[in-house]
Amino acid sequence: MKKKQYTFKGGYRFRRIEGCPRDMLTTQDIPNEVLIPLKQGFGMGVVSLVKEGDIVVAGQIIGRDDSNVSSPVHASVSGVVKEIKLSNYLGHETQIVRISTRKDKADDCKKVKGFTSDWAKLKNEEIESILYLAGVTSLDKSGIPTKFKSSIITPKDVRSIIVPAIGFDVYNLSQELLLGEKRVLDYIEGLRILHAFMPQANIYLALSKTDMQINEKLSEAVSQYGFINIISLEPKYPQGYDEMLVATVLGEKFPFGYYAANLGVIVLNAQTILSVYEAVVKGKPLIERTIAICGPGFNDTPHLKVRIGTPIADILKSYLRTDVSSRIVLENTLVGDKLTDLSLPVTKATSKIIALPENNKREFFSFLRLGVKRDAYSNTFASSVFPFCDKTLDTNIHGELRPCISCNYCEEVCPVQIIPHLLGKYVKNNIIDDSLVRFKIFNCIGCGLCSYVCPSKIPLLELIKEGEKKLAMEGIERSSSILPHFKLKGLKEYKGITTKL
Amino acid sequence: MKIVRKALDISFKLVEKNKFLSKFKPVLTALDGALFGTDELNTVPHITDYLDIKRYMSFVIIALLPAVAAAVYFWGLRVILVILVSYIAGGVVEVAFAVARKKEIHEGFLVTGLIFPLLLPPSIPLWVVALGVMFGVFFGKEVFGGTGKNIFNPAIVGRIFLTICFPLIMTVGWPKPYIGGLGGFSKFGVDAITAATPLNAFRSENVLASFSDLLFGFSGGCIGEVFRLGIILGGIFLIITRIVNWRIPFSYLASVAIFSLIGNNLAPLKFAPPSFQLLTGGLLFGAMFMATDPVTSPFTKEGKWVGGILLGLLTVLIRALSGYVEGVMFSILLMNAFAPLIDHVVLAVKYKEPKKVTGKLKPTT
Repeated sequence: MKKKQYTFKGGYRFRRIEGCPRDMLTTQDIPNEVLIPLKQGFGMGVVSLVKEGDIVVAGQIIGRDDSNVSSPVHASVSGVVKEIKLSNYLGHETQIVRISTRKDKADDCKKVKGFTSDWAKLKNEEIESILYLAGVTSLDKSGIPTKFKSSIITPKDVRSIIVPAIGFDVYNLSQELLLGEKRVLDYIEGLRILHAFMPQANIYLALSKTDMQINEKLSEAVSQYGFINIISLEPKYPQGYDEMLVATVLGEKFPFGYYAANLGVIVLNAQTILSVYEAVVKGKPLIERTIAICGPGFNDTPHLKVRIGTPIADILKSYLRTDVSSRIVLENTLVGDKLTDLSLPVTKATSKIIALPENNKREFFSFLRLGVKRDAYSNTFASSVFPFCDKTLDTNIHGELRPCISCNYCEEVCPVQIIPHLLGKYVKNNIIDDSLVRFKIFNCIGCGLCSYVCPSKIPLLELIKEGEKKLAMEGIERSSSILPHFKLKGLKEYKGITTKL
Repeated sequence: MKIVRKALDISFKLVEKNKFLSKFKPVLTALDGALFGTDELNTVPHITDYLDIKRYMSFVIIALLPAVAAAVYFWGLRVILVILVSYIAGGVVEVAFAVARKKEIHEGFLVTGLIFPLLLPPSIPLWVVALGVMFGVFFGKEVFGGTGKNIFNPAIVGRIFLTICFPLIMTVGWPKPYIGGLGGFSKFGVDAITAATPLNAFRSENVLASFSDLLFGFSGGCIGEVFRLGIILGGIFLIITRIVNWRIPFSYLASVAIFSLIGNNLAPLKFAPPSFQLLTGGLLFGAMFMATDPVTSPFTKEGKWVGGILLGLLTVLIRALSGYVEGVMFSILLMNAFAPLIDHVVLAVKYKEPKKVTGKLKPTT
């Protein structure tokens, strides 16, 4: 099997950052109460099938809507439905079902109908139905297409499936842990199941250039399957974005602002593939997930196996440092959602909980420090000379706002080749016209690297987003500059769907 | 540290009470910011890099230190006085503008104030230094709106102003550097003996100075430009730390080498050979510290190459064919003037209106 190496211009690799998740998996206790949003992962909110006072079993479908793009939602514990309430989850209004757990039936779990270890005999429709009923189909950015409207496209539309088995963020789930031991075989089975009902799709297994151990294991295991192509990528941020994966792995242009699925490409992470395997072979509905606890704001940073719906406060209780106040961020260390209400639950889409210390202390001669533990894009700190110390992160702005000096750091790190400081200047001076579109403001994928590296501390990402909004107000829409250049699928279905939650 | 904090707090109170003093609040804010850093928090992204403009500018100053130390050794302790005068006179203009605009004082001046005296002849009278730096900061930077908005490098504006207004002071009477022993560390003023600079010697008598003399600075020239080994090291330091983009110095020096090689083959009496050109005058200093000023040079990557090549061509041509023996200043000034045009053309080429997929156009609903 040929291994091809690809990368993209720009990006930034965060090295040796304090608070990376350890290679250890602990199972989090089943909480006394779970909160299950009826909109989770990819798709629209579903209709509740239960009412207050109903007794539910773990794995029972409590919300389903076959007429809209969505996947069923399950009760993750056995217990009694206490309340169904419309609440706000990170900016989205959604129904949240509150279930109080019955401890005596903690280990019960309803299995999905039709599962079998001899899955090769199943018809495509049967596989799709198992995946849909198990709730697996709403995972990742655009879901897994089935005939049940679980994604915006149908299985036939899928040309390529990209399965990254590496992390590209500041903090990453340990792939060693996810795919270690016997799980590699399960993983391959999962890929084969996907291939079975989407036979026309090429599967691209993206591996890291640096993570040799897991690389060898995986490439050895997949070498007998011709439909799996191995590609090795540089583990730099934001390679994990669908936009960058499509660009680097397939070498195609991306319709920025739309989904990879619109191109007929789906991106599925390791956990999704394992869930596919577990649903089809073991009949396990999606009621728990492995999440990583990471960041300098935690005492300990293990991986946790948690039931979906576990309130985040329950998890933080035992790990969060008490000596500093921390900002809790979900998924992405740079631009993830900031969690203000800690009673919100873990959902299907949660994979990382990050705690960054809120550092609002002023520091004497801050700019003259040696900086053994400081991370910077430029090599101006001792940390780039001493490679043995882990670097720390906090939410301080680390400097004062200054005018742009065109140092070009933002252009150098920009993964989509736009010039953030130029766009920033246009927006700041309120020049909102076609030139912003010409300079590809709509290509911005919002990775936040430009703001991260700016020595003048200019909020470039905010300026660019502001510019996009102002353009829309002037009637210059993203669609008019993106759509004419692509042939996209599933655009109608795409309306009104958000991936968040 | 606590004492400093208290002193600052007291002076903040004082300044707020007094109507006249309150105008000088920017000075205090700048001091406060420099000493204590910031307590602001990020919104999105949640984290930012530790590098700020203060550290950015400090690194340029660190890279200039070898050249400054060598300047004191070659030209005597008076150099320190020259630098002080430059900082004070320029600082007055900077503060005056900050007070008038009611805005904060920017760190960029720390670099201008140090680079400017290094561009002057060693025997420069102090009042000329003050005049030059004030002109440079005023007309080179502040009238355009301050740091980040200036078109020309303020140090070069000041230097060219002096070259044109005081040609005698600026071009005649280059003293010989102190060499051996403690050198200028034990003396105040410059040596009374004068000698032609290597570029002058080539122009008038076609004499090429020796390689090591040029590299270590044992020949006449401006205060900061003679110790070329230190300048090269400083430049490499800046490139490694990523403070300076390598494209401009590389393309500038490479194109000087190429154009002077061509010129030397065509007219050896007019064009000096490449190795001599690279190591004489203010070329290295200009290429490492002034042409690379991010504000005034082209900001696009391709523009940096174009700018560098333009600089090389202009420098070689001015040195060989104009009335001046040195062309670095003028070529950088011209490149500064052309930078917006270069960027404009680069952007126009790079961000062309993409061709639309015709025929397959679907109406968007």
